[in-house]
Amino acid sequence: EAALGLYFSRDTYSEKIYIDEPVGTPLLYVHALQDARGEVPHFRLGQHLYSTYRSQPHRNDWFQINEDTGLLYLNQSLDQRAFEKLSARNGGFPLLTIYLQVFLSPRPFRENDCHWPSCAKVMLSIINATMPACSSLKPREFCFLETGLSFRIRENKPPGTFHQFRLLPVQHLCPNISISYQLLRDEDLPFHSDKDTMEVSMRHSLDREQKEKYELVAKCTVREGLREDNVMVPFPVTVYDEDDSPPNFPTGIDTASAVVEYKRKEGTVLAVLQVFDADVVPSSGDIPRKYIHTMLTSDPRVIKFFRVEHSPNETSYNSNGSRVRAMMHDYKLVLNQSIPITENHSFQLGVLVNDTDFQGPGGVLQLYFNVTILPVSIRFPNISYSFSVNRNAHRYAQIGKVCIENCKEFHGVNITYKLQSLSVNCTALSIITSPESTTGNLFVNDTSMLQRPECTGMKYDVFAADKQSRKQSKTTLTISVEGNFFPEEEGCPISCAVNKRRLECEECGGLGSLMGTCQWRQGDGKGISKNYSTCTPSLKTCPDGSCDAVESRDLHICPQDCIRGDIIGGHEKGEWRGIKAGYGVCNCFPEEKKCFCEPDDDKEPLCDEVCRMVI
Amino acid sequence: SLASPSSLQGSELHGWRPPVDCVRANELCAAESNCSARYRTLRQCLAGRDRNTMLANKECQAALEVLQESPLYDCRCKRGMKKELQCLQIYWSIHLGLTEGEEFYEASPYEPITSRLSDIFRLASIFSGTGADPAMSAKSNHCLDAAKACNLNENCKRLRSAYISTCNREVSNSERCNRRKCHKALRQFFDRVPSEYTYRMLFCSCRDQACAERRRQTILPSCSYEDKEKPNCLDLRNVCRTDHLCRSRLADFHANCRVSYQTTTSCPSDNYQACLGSYAGMIGFDMTPNYVDSNPTSIVVSPWCSCRGSGNMEEECEKFLKDFSENPCLRNAIQAFGNGTDVNVSP
Repeated sequence: EAALGLYFSRDTYSEKIYIDEPVGTPLLYVHALQDARGEVPHFRLGQHLYSTYRSQPHRNDWFQINEDTGLLYLNQSLDQRAFEKLSARNGGFPLLTIYLQVFLSPRPFRENDCHWPSCAKVMLSIINATMPACSSLKPREFCFLETGLSFRIRENKPPGTFHQFRLLPVQHLCPNISISYQLLRDEDLPFHSDKDTMEVSMRHSLDREQKEKYELVAKCTVREGLREDNVMVPFPVTVYDEDDSPPNFPTGIDTASAVVEYKRKEGTVLAVLQVFDADVVPSSGDIPRKYIHTMLTSDPRVIKFFRVEHSPNETSYNSNGSRVRAMMHDYKLVLNQSIPITENHSFQLGVLVNDTDFQGPGGVLQLYFNVTILPVSIRFPNISYSFSVNRNAHRYAQIGKVCIENCKEFHGVNITYKLQSLSVNCTALSIITSPESTTGNLFVNDTSMLQRPECTGMKYDVFAADKQSRKQSKTTLTISVEGNFFPEEEGCPISCAVNKRRLECEECGGLGSLMGTCQWRQGDGKGISKNYSTCTPSLKTCPDGSCDAVESRDLHICPQDCIRGDIIGGHEKGEWRGIKAGYGVCNCFPEEKKCFCEPDDDKEPLCDEVCRMVI
Repeated sequence: SLASPSSLQGSELHGWRPPVDCVRANELCAAESNCSARYRTLRQCLAGRDRNTMLANKECQAALEVLQESPLYDCRCKRGMKKELQCLQIYWSIHLGLTEGEEFYEASPYEPITSRLSDIFRLASIFSGTGADPAMSAKSNHCLDAAKACNLNENCKRLRSAYISTCNREVSNSERCNRRKCHKALRQFFDRVPSEYTYRMLFCSCRDQACAERRRQTILPSCSYEDKEKPNCLDLRNVCRTDHLCRSRLADFHANCRVSYQTTTSCPSDNYQACLGSYAGMIGFDMTPNYVDSNPTSIVVSPWCSCRGSGNMEEECEKFLKDFSENPCLRNAIQAFGNGTDVNVSP
């Protein structure tokens, strides 16, 4: 695609046609600009007339073009019959516009492929009336068409003529009206409008990286006897880019360091390097094909564990007071796979970036990532854990968490915790690993042990192990059982969440309750609120908006966080499960997989027996 | 404007018969051995996807030429018809090979809309019963009224709550909702609910921000419209064009909302209804348009895309985007609907 040849200065030209305009009426000029000096355009018309709405194209019997000058003219008058013939082929739409294709390439060309730069469309608005009298035309109609002007000029190409101001049909039919054109502020700009020929040309070739849009104003003066009218329209020129700048490092930095330690999860971004390119070609759709990066390594481990992600972004810079677009390419080193904790490796990864459209030296850059993969150890902090548990705790009561060193930092490492009882027959507790936080949650699994006198002080070994490497660590855990045992009330439900009132909540226990009784959360009563009133085994864990590893064992523990079934009443559902917000009091029936959120209408009496006695 | 609209109206349906739909045309073609053989050939040619290699093939070319004379060439589809997708597949199987593959504006495969906004107003006034009390309408929130009117209609209420609940359902922390399902529910709403209801909600006129925000929220934009990244509009157009339905709806929008210099309203044939219909027809596809903010007076709509990264196609991208964001035909049509006015056109 190096030598594209000549190109049109616009992709669409327009003009108006009236019925019965005479043979030979000039319509407009098309203009071609050079890609290389010495090229000479030969303009050729496509064989068909097309309508803007699809329908069978019609053979062009009316229009012709001068091969050398680009002048399009009528070689047969378009009469009422021709108009009707064209209308009938317009698929039911009122005939407004037809178009012709003008090519720059020699025959044969495929008419189906009319695309700028080597083909332009000439849109002709056909008006079912004869040309109005010159005296009835407004000044604007002598000067410009309604469809705006806009031009395309390629950078670094030879200068040339790219526009003819005159509206040829109007001037042809109304020769007595004097019209002149002027480009405002064109002295210091690279454009020139000639007073006599009314042509606009470039003074020299343009550079997009200097300025990419010229917002000029074209002024037209119409003189008719003593009357003078001025009409002004915008005259925008866009400079088209070619890939004439090599990529570079905006801050001179071509190397970045990356350390893999606790965050070892697939998708982790380890380092970013930026590449700047003053060109805006290739465009976003073509970048993946034309801006290519390659990792320079043959190490299968590196290819397995790392990838480079390329994200291009348009940016802009200031050039002599005007905004010029450019591209910034981010190259991110990303983990392709979770890395095992034993991996210990450091290396330099080179990445080749190739701006394939750029001709000349410097189109290829090399980036460097200095990567260090550190092994991490699974180690408990140098302490022995000790927790206490109330003698009345129910099953699934969460009594504490254990956690290896830096466990909050770990990502992408699969840790599991295990318990081993050192006091035989006292296996009241279990541990479950919470994968999202790499902690171990301790909970009561067998309540009968809590009442045994030999189990008042329990000792456990806790093991933490990495699944992949089978590395493990051990610490000890002491549990003291506290409090006096009191028997449970009769007829209490299994789940705290069943209770709808504070009184019944606080006199019963339920699965997960720490002290043998449920806890009441008093909401704020502000409509559908995250802080709704409810009865829970432990305010620390339920409802907190997440169904944790212990809670997900049994729906009776905390249906407020874990329910997937129906929620009746004013509420907002949680993202995966549970109640995110509720209206009034929310209570649940885990057996039926249902929760209800409704205002507590029968409030406790304002004054009970006790208060009456005080009065 | 030089052309008087009435002179154009006269020629509108002159010498033109409504075409058969493509499903029917396909049946007619199948009954004829020459046509059906050529159509099979063409479909095989197009299965190769690359248009240029296809056109270079003599057999494919011959098939295309024969089919240009068949009923398949001029067939069209109807919006929301039975087998709409099948109809459009037949349409594009011919037209992708035939016409200029990547035109800026493509011809619409749909039949022209002949109904008018005034038809809707006539219907709307029957059930709204409010009449035109200016004092009443100045105070009220039209978008709220439209939602109330929808809730009073069984069908509208059902399909509206269906899309609202689908588009509001969060899937996970990283995924706000199931966009595909949300789009489908929106398409069902706009396809199956009469436009008296849907337009009232989508194009209600507003005097304050609360009303305009409700209007913006009509299609649940956080799910159906917004995305993590804003793609380039021309890239988005390419995505849309790989889908027959999206491609057809976009072409229909261009046919009916494209700015015309020859009409007083800037709309083709001064037909607001056709423009609004094809705008609503794009909701639920990759090119879903929406109000960009909750400004009550200045109406700016756009698909979820920008012209960043256009390279040398920036001009073309801006032109594409402005057909949404700065389109006087579309803006006039929305305003006319909100005001309950239609242009008076002689039939």
